[in-house]
Amino acid sequence: MDSFGLLLDGFATALTVENLLFALLGVTLGTLVGVLPGIGPAMTVALLLPITFSVPPASAFIMFAGIYYGGMYGGSTTSILLNTPGESSSMITALEGNKMARRGRAAQALATAAIGSFVAGTIATALLVAFAPMVVDFAIAFGPEDYFALAVLAFTMCSSVLSKSLVRGLASLTLGLAIGLVGIDQQTGQARLTLGIPQLLDGIDVVIIAVGLFAVGEALYVASRMRHAPPEVVPVGRTWMGRSDWARSWKPWLRGTALGFPIGALPGGGAEVPTFLSYSIERRLAKGPAKEEYGHGAIEGVAGPEAANNASAAGTLVPLLSLGLPTSATAAIMLAAFQQYGLQPGPQLFDHNPALVWGMVASLFVGNAMLLVLNLPLAPMWARLLRIPRPYLYAGIVLFAALGAYAVNQSVVDLLILFALGALGFAMRRFGLPLAPAVIGVILGPMAEIQLRRALAIGTGDVTVLVSSPVAAVLLALSALVLLLPLIRRVRAKKQGKSPVGAP
Amino acid sequence: MRKPELGLAALVLGLGIFVLAGTADVRAAGATFGLGPRFFPILVGSAMIVVGVFYVIDVLRGGRGDPEESEDVDSSARADWKTVLMVAVVFVGFALLLDLLGWIIAAALLFFGIAYALGARGLARLGAVSIALSVLTYLVFVKGLGVTLPGGLLAGVI
Repeated sequence: MDSFGLLLDGFATALTVENLLFALLGVTLGTLVGVLPGIGPAMTVALLLPITFSVPPASAFIMFAGIYYGGMYGGSTTSILLNTPGESSSMITALEGNKMARRGRAAQALATAAIGSFVAGTIATALLVAFAPMVVDFAIAFGPEDYFALAVLAFTMCSSVLSKSLVRGLASLTLGLAIGLVGIDQQTGQARLTLGIPQLLDGIDVVIIAVGLFAVGEALYVASRMRHAPPEVVPVGRTWMGRSDWARSWKPWLRGTALGFPIGALPGGGAEVPTFLSYSIERRLAKGPAKEEYGHGAIEGVAGPEAANNASAAGTLVPLLSLGLPTSATAAIMLAAFQQYGLQPGPQLFDHNPALVWGMVASLFVGNAMLLVLNLPLAPMWARLLRIPRPYLYAGIVLFAALGAYAVNQSVVDLLILFALGALGFAMRRFGLPLAPAVIGVILGPMAEIQLRRALAIGTGDVTVLVSSPVAAVLLALSALVLLLPLIRRVRAKKQGKSPVGAP
Repeated sequence: MRKPELGLAALVLGLGIFVLAGTADVRAAGATFGLGPRFFPILVGSAMIVVGVFYVIDVLRGGRGDPEESEDVDSSARADWKTVLMVAVVFVGFALLLDLLGWIIAAALLFFGIAYALGARGLARLGAVSIALSVLTYLVFVKGLGVTLPGGLLAGVI
């Protein structure tokens, strides 16, 4: 059956009353955590992992996908209305969006963000429908050496792209890989790095790792440098757009989608790079009044990046579903969720669980429409959430973090591990280590190990088996290039007698 | 000049050595070299040591990571260690007392303590919110969603 027919079947799954409710729950939760400072979609999905066991997998993933998309919508509300930079994926939106808001154009900024997110999300999901089966067809012949090379590329790309400093990105990655080693080796049953603590034999649960690094780490970080001035929230009127706003928005929406989808699908692409690119392209293309407005609240600078970050979320799902390769922290947690259900994303998933895959994809179209309704008329209501007193907000985040971590094994040891990981997350934030490489390392590390050992077993110890397929060889060469690039740049800069120019 | 980031860099380096040392005694019967349970930890540990050395050098030469931007963080402010310590004590205390006190009492104290440490005032309102939240989460998650949380002192009551 072609993917269109499968998608129609997917709609049959997604449009049952139960799954519509899960989608609604997901997008509402997603918008909520996107709006609220301090928590994001990655942590929310992680927190929900322990309580989704009673739910069939299709419904759970419909909800998770809703959270992912919803988080992208909600983040824009915060960055437009609040006078401070927020989540990294919507930081760029704050540049022009907050200035628009302060000139009394908050409603228009929110509208172009919401409608742009809808347009981009819908187009990008359609692209996902078109491309994911193509990647599956390509990947069906992949051997363990190819999957290992893919993992290595994801490691090096996310470490180098997400941080200004390669060594800090790699430090984060290796911390994650080391945490992922803890527990019994799956192939031989040997305990590794458990320090004799029996609770560590099963490894550290991904819920505890994600919630510790994100939630507890954020709470400690905020405690160390809390902004004591009350948050300055710009009031919103009714969200609407005038004719000129539409005329100025639609092209940036499309360009943002064109940037966000492919970059989101690349390992390490994430949402930051395409939003930044979209912002600078729109700035360069701006003419006439828009050019003068840039820096003082140009609508193009909101429309483009917001479309880009939503399109990147759909792009991220291509490698996640078709290869089992996470390219963002949220995708990594979703991969862990698949594993908890005993499912392994990749070509086999499309073969064995078409109802799950296509139900989830179809629900993305549904969720996008729901999000438009939730965000456009209800924006003033979401904005009120921004006035929650910060001590209450962070105390609440820690309370739910503790609840989620305890619920995994009913173990106090887990709570202490949660705190230790929180302290690590705090230190990583304090010194600018990106968190995503650590999360990807924790989740993808054990899989990389299995594939590596499988490949070497096939090659009976001959290391050249790792580059025996052209795909693996190219991917490993790219990884090496990513690691060497800063060095090459530094040498060149020295030759020219200039200090090295940092990447954007 | 003091370099607090050196601590984190040293942690990466130290953990790398720990990964190598901590898996040195792992044996698998009949595992051929290169494929056993030690192989990947050796890779990870070695990578960590290399990265750790580069990180230490970078910090010593004056490299600095930019503190993460966040909505509620004033990244130019001086670190407020007193608040961090209070939050830490409240959380560890909660973890150690949870099984004894039960979720409702312990979680209310956790919320109260952290909000107070972060500067919440109006203690009557804070107390009421704390108790309401811990009771509500207990009802929703234990009675509604079937999550297991300790009853503790109130085990027979609710």
